[in-house]
Amino acid sequence: MADAIALPQARPAQPALQFLRVIPGVLLLAAVGYAGKLLERNVGTYAKAHHWTFPNIEYVLWAILIGLVISNTVGVPQIFRSGVATYEFWLKAGIVLLGSRFLLGDVLKLGGVSLGLVAIEIAVAIAFMTFLGRAFGLRPKLTSLLAVGSAVCGVSAIIATQGAIEADDEDSSFAIAAILALGALSLFTFPLIGHALHLSDHAYGLWAGLAVDNTAEATAAGALYSDAAGKLAVLAKTTRNAMIGFVVLAYAIYWASRGQAKTVGNKAAFLWQKFPKFVLGFLLISILATYHFFTKDQTTALANLSRWAFLLTFAGVGLRTNFREMRKQGLRPFAVGAIGEVVIAVFTLALVAGAGKLFGF
Amino acid sequence: MSTNTASLNSQRTWLLSLDSWAVLAALLAALLIRAGVFTRVPW
Repeated sequence: MADAIALPQARPAQPALQFLRVIPGVLLLAAVGYAGKLLERNVGTYAKAHHWTFPNIEYVLWAILIGLVISNTVGVPQIFRSGVATYEFWLKAGIVLLGSRFLLGDVLKLGGVSLGLVAIEIAVAIAFMTFLGRAFGLRPKLTSLLAVGSAVCGVSAIIATQGAIEADDEDSSFAIAAILALGALSLFTFPLIGHALHLSDHAYGLWAGLAVDNTAEATAAGALYSDAAGKLAVLAKTTRNAMIGFVVLAYAIYWASRGQAKTVGNKAAFLWQKFPKFVLGFLLISILATYHFFTKDQTTALANLSRWAFLLTFAGVGLRTNFREMRKQGLRPFAVGAIGEVVIAVFTLALVAGAGKLFGF
Repeated sequence: MSTNTASLNSQRTWLLSLDSWAVLAALLAALLIRAGVFTRVPW
Protein backbone atom coordinates (compact mmCIF):
# COMPACT_ATOMS: atom_id res chain seq x y z
CA MET A 1 0.00 0.00 0.00
CA ALA A 2 2.80 2.34 0.87
CA ASP A 3 4.00 2.29 -2.69
CA ALA A 4 1.30 4.48 -4.08
CA ILE A 5 3.91 7.12 -4.91
CA ALA A 6 6.67 5.23 -6.57
CA LEU A 7 5.04 2.13 -7.91
CA PRO A 8 2.61 2.04 -10.79
CA GLN A 9 -0.64 0.15 -10.47
CA ALA A 10 -0.74 -3.37 -11.72
CA ARG A 11 -3.66 -4.41 -13.87
CA PRO A 12 -5.81 -7.12 -12.27
CA ALA A 13 -4.39 -10.51 -13.13
CA GLN A 14 -4.88 -14.16 -12.26
CA PRO A 15 -3.58 -15.10 -8.78
CA ALA A 16 -1.03 -17.54 -10.28
CA LEU A 17 0.28 -14.85 -12.61
CA GLN A 18 0.35 -12.32 -9.76
CA PHE A 19 2.31 -14.79 -7.68
CA LEU A 20 4.92 -15.29 -10.41
CA ARG A 21 5.14 -11.54 -10.90
CA VAL A 22 6.21 -10.90 -7.29
CA ILE A 23 9.03 -13.47 -7.27
CA PRO A 24 11.83 -11.26 -8.77
CA GLY A 25 11.08 -8.43 -6.33
CA VAL A 26 10.93 -10.76 -3.33
CA LEU A 27 14.30 -12.18 -4.37
CA LEU A 28 15.63 -8.61 -4.59
CA LEU A 29 14.31 -7.88 -1.08
CA ALA A 30 16.01 -11.03 0.19
CA ALA A 31 19.28 -10.19 -1.58
CA VAL A 32 19.36 -6.62 -0.24
CA GLY A 33 18.41 -7.75 3.27
CA TYR A 34 20.97 -10.53 3.29
CA ALA A 35 23.64 -8.17 1.96
CA GLY A 36 22.84 -5.93 4.94
CA LYS A 37 23.31 -8.87 7.27
CA LEU A 38 26.63 -9.81 5.66
CA LEU A 39 27.87 -6.23 5.79
CA GLU A 40 27.02 -5.94 9.48
CA ARG A 41 29.08 -9.02 10.19
CA ASN A 42 32.02 -8.38 7.87
CA VAL A 43 32.53 -4.60 7.89
CA GLY A 44 32.91 -4.54 11.69
CA THR A 45 35.37 -7.44 11.63
CA TYR A 46 37.35 -5.90 8.75
CA ALA A 47 37.53 -2.50 10.46
CA LYS A 48 38.65 -4.12 13.71
CA ALA A 49 41.33 -6.18 11.95
CA HIS A 50 42.69 -3.01 10.32
CA HIS A 51 42.44 -0.94 13.52
CA TRP A 52 39.93 1.45 11.98
CA THR A 53 37.47 3.41 14.03
CA PHE A 54 34.16 2.50 12.45
CA PRO A 55 30.73 2.66 14.08
CA ASN A 56 28.93 -0.63 14.51
CA ILE A 57 26.21 -0.39 11.86
CA GLU A 58 23.41 -2.91 12.27
CA TYR A 59 21.94 -4.95 9.43
CA VAL A 60 18.74 -2.88 9.69
CA LEU A 61 20.56 0.28 8.63
CA TRP A 62 22.70 -1.49 6.00
CA ALA A 63 19.58 -3.01 4.39
CA ILE A 64 17.82 0.37 4.33
CA LEU A 65 20.91 2.16 2.99
CA ILE A 66 21.51 -0.36 0.19
CA GLY A 67 17.83 -0.08 -0.77
CA LEU A 68 18.00 3.72 -0.71
CA VAL A 69 21.10 3.76 -2.92
CA ILE A 70 19.50 1.43 -5.49
CA SER A 71 16.20 3.33 -5.49
CA ASN A 72 17.79 6.78 -5.80
CA THR A 73 20.51 5.96 -8.34
CA VAL A 74 19.67 3.24 -10.86
CA GLY A 75 16.06 2.97 -9.65
CA VAL A 76 14.01 -0.17 -9.15
CA PRO A 77 13.38 -1.80 -12.58
CA GLN A 78 9.77 -2.58 -13.45
CA ILE A 79 10.22 -6.35 -13.15
CA PHE A 80 11.04 -6.03 -9.42
CA ARG A 81 8.34 -3.54 -8.44
CA SER A 82 5.44 -5.88 -7.66
CA GLY A 83 7.69 -7.99 -5.47
CA VAL A 84 9.23 -5.00 -3.68
CA ALA A 85 5.68 -3.87 -2.85
CA THR A 86 5.24 -7.08 -0.81
CA TYR A 87 7.38 -5.62 1.96
CA GLU A 88 4.12 -4.69 3.75
CA PHE A 89 3.14 -8.37 3.68
CA TRP A 90 6.46 -9.37 5.30
CA LEU A 91 6.08 -6.60 7.85
CA LYS A 92 2.67 -7.83 8.96
CA ALA A 93 3.68 -11.50 8.96
CA GLY A 94 6.76 -10.50 11.00
CA ILE A 95 4.61 -8.66 13.54
CA VAL A 96 2.28 -11.67 13.93
CA LEU A 97 5.28 -13.97 14.51
CA LEU A 98 6.79 -11.47 16.94
CA GLY A 99 3.79 -12.20 19.15
CA SER A 100 5.67 -15.35 20.23
CA ARG A 101 8.13 -13.13 22.12
CA PHE A 102 5.42 -11.51 24.23
CA LEU A 103 3.61 -13.17 27.08
CA LEU A 104 -0.05 -12.18 27.20
CA GLY A 105 0.45 -10.49 30.59
CA ASP A 106 3.16 -8.25 29.12
CA VAL A 107 0.99 -7.45 26.13
CA LEU A 108 -1.91 -6.46 28.39
CA LYS A 109 0.31 -4.45 30.74
CA LEU A 110 2.40 -2.71 28.09
CA GLY A 111 -0.54 -2.54 25.70
CA GLY A 112 -2.62 -0.90 28.44
CA VAL A 113 0.06 1.76 29.04
CA SER A 114 0.49 2.17 25.26
CA LEU A 115 -3.27 2.47 24.78
CA GLY A 116 -3.49 5.37 27.24
CA LEU A 117 -0.55 7.12 25.60
CA VAL A 118 -1.88 6.38 22.09
CA ALA A 119 -5.26 7.92 22.92
CA ILE A 120 -3.57 11.14 24.10
CA GLU A 121 -1.17 11.14 21.13
CA ILE A 122 -3.97 10.70 18.59
CA ALA A 123 -6.11 13.48 20.08
CA VAL A 124 -3.21 15.95 20.25
CA ALA A 125 -1.79 15.00 16.83
CA ILE A 126 -5.15 15.38 15.06
CA ALA A 127 -5.88 18.71 16.78
CA PHE A 128 -2.43 20.11 16.02
CA MET A 129 -2.26 18.92 12.40
CA THR A 130 -5.74 20.33 11.75
CA PHE A 131 -4.65 23.68 13.18
CA LEU A 132 -1.44 23.65 11.10
CA GLY A 133 -3.26 22.67 7.90
CA ARG A 134 -5.66 25.58 8.34
CA ALA A 135 -2.82 27.98 9.21
CA PHE A 136 -0.95 26.98 6.02
CA GLY A 137 -4.10 27.16 3.91
CA LEU A 138 -4.05 23.50 2.83
CA ARG A 139 -7.19 21.99 1.33
CA PRO A 140 -9.43 20.65 4.15
CA LYS A 141 -9.38 17.02 2.96
CA LEU A 142 -5.60 17.10 2.52
CA THR A 143 -5.40 18.40 6.09
CA SER A 144 -7.60 15.49 7.24
CA LEU A 145 -5.35 12.98 5.45
CA LEU A 146 -2.18 14.48 6.94
CA ALA A 147 -3.78 14.51 10.39
CA VAL A 148 -4.79 10.85 10.16
CA GLY A 149 -1.43 9.85 8.68
CA SER A 150 0.56 11.46 11.45
CA ALA A 151 -1.82 10.53 14.26
CA VAL A 152 -2.48 6.86 13.50
CA CYS A 153 -0.50 4.77 11.10
CA GLY A 154 0.94 6.58 8.17
CA VAL A 155 0.21 5.43 4.66
CA SER A 156 -2.33 2.70 5.53
CA ALA A 157 -4.40 5.22 7.47
CA ILE A 158 -4.23 7.74 4.64
CA ILE A 159 -5.40 5.17 2.09
CA ALA A 160 -8.19 3.96 4.38
CA THR A 161 -9.32 7.54 5.01
CA GLN A 162 -9.08 8.59 1.37
CA GLY A 163 -11.76 6.07 0.45
CA ALA A 164 -13.96 6.91 3.43
CA ILE A 165 -13.95 10.70 2.98
CA GLU A 166 -13.75 10.64 -0.84
CA ALA A 167 -10.61 12.75 -0.95
CA ASP A 168 -8.86 13.49 -4.26
CA ASP A 169 -6.09 11.17 -5.42
CA GLU A 170 -3.84 14.21 -5.59
CA ASP A 171 -4.44 15.00 -1.90
CA SER A 172 -3.72 11.41 -1.01
CA SER A 173 -0.45 11.47 -2.99
CA PHE A 174 0.65 14.70 -1.27
CA ALA A 175 -0.10 13.30 2.17
CA ILE A 176 1.60 9.96 1.44
CA ALA A 177 4.70 11.67 0.06
CA ALA A 178 4.98 13.89 3.15
CA ILE A 179 4.52 10.98 5.55
CA LEU A 180 7.02 8.77 3.69
CA ALA A 181 9.66 11.50 3.49
CA LEU A 182 9.32 12.25 7.19
CA GLY A 183 9.37 8.53 7.99
CA ALA A 184 12.68 8.20 6.12
CA LEU A 185 14.12 11.11 8.11
CA SER A 186 12.96 9.60 11.40
CA LEU A 187 14.99 6.46 10.70
CA PHE A 188 18.15 8.49 11.07
CA THR A 189 17.12 11.11 13.62
CA PHE A 190 15.25 9.02 16.22
CA PRO A 191 18.11 6.65 17.17
CA LEU A 192 20.52 9.62 17.37
CA ILE A 193 18.18 11.55 19.67
CA GLY A 194 17.50 8.44 21.75
CA HIS A 195 21.20 7.83 22.30
CA ALA A 196 21.88 11.52 22.98
CA LEU A 197 19.17 11.52 25.67
CA HIS A 198 20.31 8.11 27.03
CA LEU A 199 16.77 6.76 26.76
CA SER A 200 16.18 3.26 28.08
CA ASP A 201 15.17 0.60 25.55
CA HIS A 202 11.68 0.67 27.02
CA ALA A 203 11.26 4.45 26.81
CA TYR A 204 12.79 4.68 23.33
CA GLY A 205 10.71 1.79 21.97
CA LEU A 206 7.50 3.37 23.24
CA TRP A 207 8.54 6.74 21.83
CA ALA A 208 9.36 5.34 18.37
CA GLY A 209 6.08 3.41 18.33
CA LEU A 210 4.11 6.52 19.29
CA ALA A 211 5.85 9.11 17.15
CA VAL A 212 7.00 7.42 13.92
CA ASP A 213 4.06 7.22 11.54
CA ASN A 214 4.50 4.35 9.15
CA THR A 215 4.61 0.87 10.71
CA ALA A 216 7.64 -0.23 8.69
CA GLU A 217 9.63 2.86 9.68
CA ALA A 218 8.54 2.60 13.34
CA THR A 219 9.70 -1.05 13.39
CA ALA A 220 13.00 -0.12 11.76
CA ALA A 221 13.56 2.94 14.00
CA GLY A 222 13.02 0.71 17.05
CA ALA A 223 15.27 -2.09 15.78
CA LEU A 224 18.02 0.43 14.96
CA TYR A 225 18.21 1.29 18.68
CA SER A 226 18.16 -2.24 20.10
CA ASP A 227 16.33 -5.53 19.84
CA ALA A 228 14.33 -4.81 23.01
CA ALA A 229 13.44 -1.31 21.80
CA GLY A 230 12.33 -2.82 18.48
CA LYS A 231 9.92 -5.15 20.28
CA LEU A 232 8.43 -2.28 22.28
CA ALA A 233 8.16 -0.05 19.21
CA VAL A 234 6.19 -2.76 17.41
CA LEU A 235 3.85 -3.20 20.38
CA ALA A 236 3.19 0.53 20.74
CA LYS A 237 2.75 0.93 16.98
CA THR A 238 0.39 -2.06 16.83
CA THR A 239 -1.72 -0.48 19.57
CA ARG A 240 -1.81 2.70 17.47
CA ASN A 241 -2.75 0.73 14.36
CA ALA A 242 -5.65 -0.87 16.22
CA MET A 243 -7.22 2.61 16.49
CA ILE A 244 -7.36 3.15 12.73
CA GLY A 245 -11.00 2.08 12.32
CA PHE A 246 -12.30 4.47 14.98
CA VAL A 247 -10.40 7.47 13.62
CA VAL A 248 -11.36 6.79 9.99
CA LEU A 249 -14.99 6.27 11.05
CA ALA A 250 -14.97 9.62 12.91
CA TYR A 251 -13.61 11.37 9.81
CA ALA A 252 -16.10 9.60 7.54
CA ILE A 253 -19.00 10.74 9.76
CA TYR A 254 -17.61 14.29 9.90
CA TRP A 255 -17.26 14.62 6.11
CA ALA A 256 -20.64 12.90 5.51
CA SER A 257 -22.29 15.40 7.87
CA ARG A 258 -20.93 18.16 5.63
CA GLY A 259 -22.36 16.44 2.58
CA GLN A 260 -18.91 15.75 1.13
CA ALA A 261 -18.72 11.97 1.65
CA LYS A 262 -21.04 8.97 1.64
CA THR A 263 -22.92 8.23 4.87
CA VAL A 264 -21.58 5.22 6.76
CA GLY A 265 -24.34 2.60 6.98
CA ASN A 266 -23.26 -0.30 9.18
CA LYS A 267 -20.68 1.15 11.57
CA ALA A 268 -19.66 -2.22 13.05
CA ALA A 269 -18.98 -3.63 9.57
CA PHE A 270 -17.05 -0.46 8.71
CA LEU A 271 -14.88 -0.86 11.84
CA TRP A 272 -14.21 -4.54 11.08
CA GLN A 273 -13.31 -3.76 7.47
CA LYS A 274 -10.78 -1.11 8.54
CA PHE A 275 -9.43 -3.04 11.53
CA PRO A 276 -5.86 -4.29 10.90
CA LYS A 277 -6.22 -8.08 11.13
CA PHE A 278 -2.54 -8.63 11.90
CA VAL A 279 -3.22 -7.21 15.39
CA LEU A 280 -5.47 -10.24 16.00
CA GLY A 281 -2.81 -12.58 14.63
CA PHE A 282 -0.21 -11.01 16.94
CA LEU A 283 -2.51 -11.51 19.95
CA LEU A 284 -3.30 -15.11 18.97
CA ILE A 285 0.39 -16.10 18.71
CA SER A 286 1.08 -14.31 22.00
CA ILE A 287 -1.74 -16.28 23.70
CA LEU A 288 -0.41 -19.56 22.25
CA ALA A 289 3.12 -18.74 23.47
CA THR A 290 1.81 -17.79 26.92
CA TYR A 291 0.04 -21.15 27.30
CA HIS A 292 3.17 -23.08 26.19
CA PHE A 293 1.78 -24.22 22.86
CA PHE A 294 5.36 -23.84 21.58
CA THR A 295 8.51 -25.26 23.15
CA LYS A 296 11.44 -22.96 23.89
CA ASP A 297 13.21 -23.99 20.68
CA GLN A 298 10.04 -23.46 18.66
CA THR A 299 9.63 -19.98 20.16
CA THR A 300 13.22 -19.19 19.15
CA ALA A 301 12.48 -20.48 15.63
CA LEU A 302 9.38 -18.25 15.43
CA ALA A 303 11.34 -15.23 16.66
CA ASN A 304 14.04 -15.87 14.04
CA LEU A 305 11.42 -16.23 11.33
CA SER A 306 10.02 -12.88 12.42
CA ARG A 307 13.54 -11.37 12.07
CA TRP A 308 13.80 -12.69 8.49
CA ALA A 309 10.41 -11.19 7.67
CA PHE A 310 11.55 -7.84 9.09
CA LEU A 311 14.79 -8.09 7.11
CA LEU A 312 12.76 -8.13 3.87
CA THR A 313 10.69 -5.24 5.22
CA PHE A 314 13.75 -3.08 5.94
CA ALA A 315 15.10 -3.75 2.45
CA GLY A 316 11.70 -2.71 1.09
CA VAL A 317 11.70 0.52 3.10
CA GLY A 318 14.92 1.57 1.34
CA LEU A 319 13.89 0.34 -2.10
CA ARG A 320 10.54 2.11 -2.16
CA THR A 321 11.89 5.45 -0.88
CA ASN A 322 12.55 7.69 -3.85
CA PHE A 323 13.42 11.23 -2.86
CA ARG A 324 12.99 12.58 -6.40
CA GLU A 325 9.37 11.35 -6.51
CA MET A 326 8.74 12.87 -3.09
CA ARG A 327 10.20 16.26 -4.07
CA LYS A 328 7.74 16.45 -6.97
CA GLN A 329 4.81 16.51 -4.53
CA GLY A 330 5.43 20.07 -3.36
CA LEU A 331 6.71 21.85 -0.31
CA ARG A 332 3.66 22.97 1.65
CA PRO A 333 2.26 19.57 2.67
CA PHE A 334 5.81 18.54 3.55
CA ALA A 335 6.30 21.68 5.66
CA VAL A 336 3.01 21.08 7.51
CA GLY A 337 3.95 17.44 8.02
CA ALA A 338 7.47 18.29 9.18
CA ILE A 339 6.37 20.94 11.70
CA GLY A 340 3.63 18.62 12.93
CA GLU A 341 5.98 15.66 13.25
CA VAL A 342 8.55 17.65 15.23
CA VAL A 343 5.87 18.88 17.64
CA ILE A 344 4.36 15.39 17.95
CA ALA A 345 7.82 13.86 18.51
CA VAL A 346 8.60 16.34 21.30
CA PHE A 347 5.15 15.91 22.81
CA THR A 348 5.28 12.10 22.77
CA LEU A 349 8.79 12.17 24.21
CA ALA A 350 7.47 14.21 27.14
CA LEU A 351 4.51 11.82 27.38
CA VAL A 352 6.81 8.77 27.53
CA ALA A 353 9.05 10.50 30.10
CA GLY A 354 5.98 11.21 32.24
CA ALA A 355 4.70 7.64 31.89
CA GLY A 356 8.20 6.37 32.71
CA LYS A 357 8.14 8.23 36.00
CA LEU A 358 4.64 6.98 36.74
CA PHE A 359 5.19 3.33 35.81
CA GLY A 360 8.92 3.11 36.55
CA PHE A 361 10.65 2.33 33.23
CA MET B 1 -3.41 8.29 -8.94
CA SER B 2 -6.23 5.99 -8.00
CA THR B 3 -4.70 4.18 -5.11
CA ASN B 4 -8.09 3.14 -3.87
CA THR B 5 -9.09 1.51 -7.11
CA ALA B 6 -5.71 -0.17 -7.24
CA SER B 7 -6.04 -1.59 -3.76
CA LEU B 8 -9.57 -2.79 -4.51
CA ASN B 9 -8.41 -4.45 -7.71
CA SER B 10 -5.49 -6.07 -5.98
CA GLN B 11 -7.76 -7.26 -3.15
CA ARG B 12 -10.14 -8.79 -5.69
CA THR B 13 -7.24 -10.52 -7.42
CA TRP B 14 -5.86 -11.97 -4.20
CA LEU B 15 -9.32 -12.87 -2.72
CA LEU B 16 -8.31 -11.65 0.75
CA SER B 17 -6.66 -8.46 1.97
CA LEU B 18 -2.89 -8.34 2.31
CA ASP B 19 -3.42 -8.15 6.06
CA SER B 20 -5.35 -11.42 6.15
CA TRP B 21 -2.85 -13.21 3.90
CA ALA B 22 -0.01 -12.09 6.17
CA VAL B 23 -1.84 -13.46 9.23
CA LEU B 24 -2.60 -16.76 7.47
CA ALA B 25 0.98 -17.16 6.27
CA ALA B 26 2.37 -16.44 9.74
CA LEU B 27 -0.06 -18.86 11.41
CA LEU B 28 0.78 -21.56 8.86
CA ALA B 29 4.49 -21.06 9.52
CA ALA B 30 3.84 -21.27 13.29
CA LEU B 31 1.87 -24.50 12.83
CA LEU B 32 4.61 -26.05 10.67
CA ILE B 33 7.19 -25.20 13.32
CA ARG B 34 4.89 -26.57 16.05
CA ALA B 35 4.36 -29.78 14.07
CA GLY B 36 8.11 -30.23 13.78
CA VAL B 37 8.27 -29.81 9.99
CA PHE B 38 10.86 -27.07 10.61
CA THR B 39 12.81 -27.69 13.77
CA ARG B 40 15.27 -24.84 13.52
CA VAL B 41 15.28 -21.43 11.86
CA PRO B 42 18.82 -20.05 11.84
CA TRP B 43 19.60 -16.36 12.18
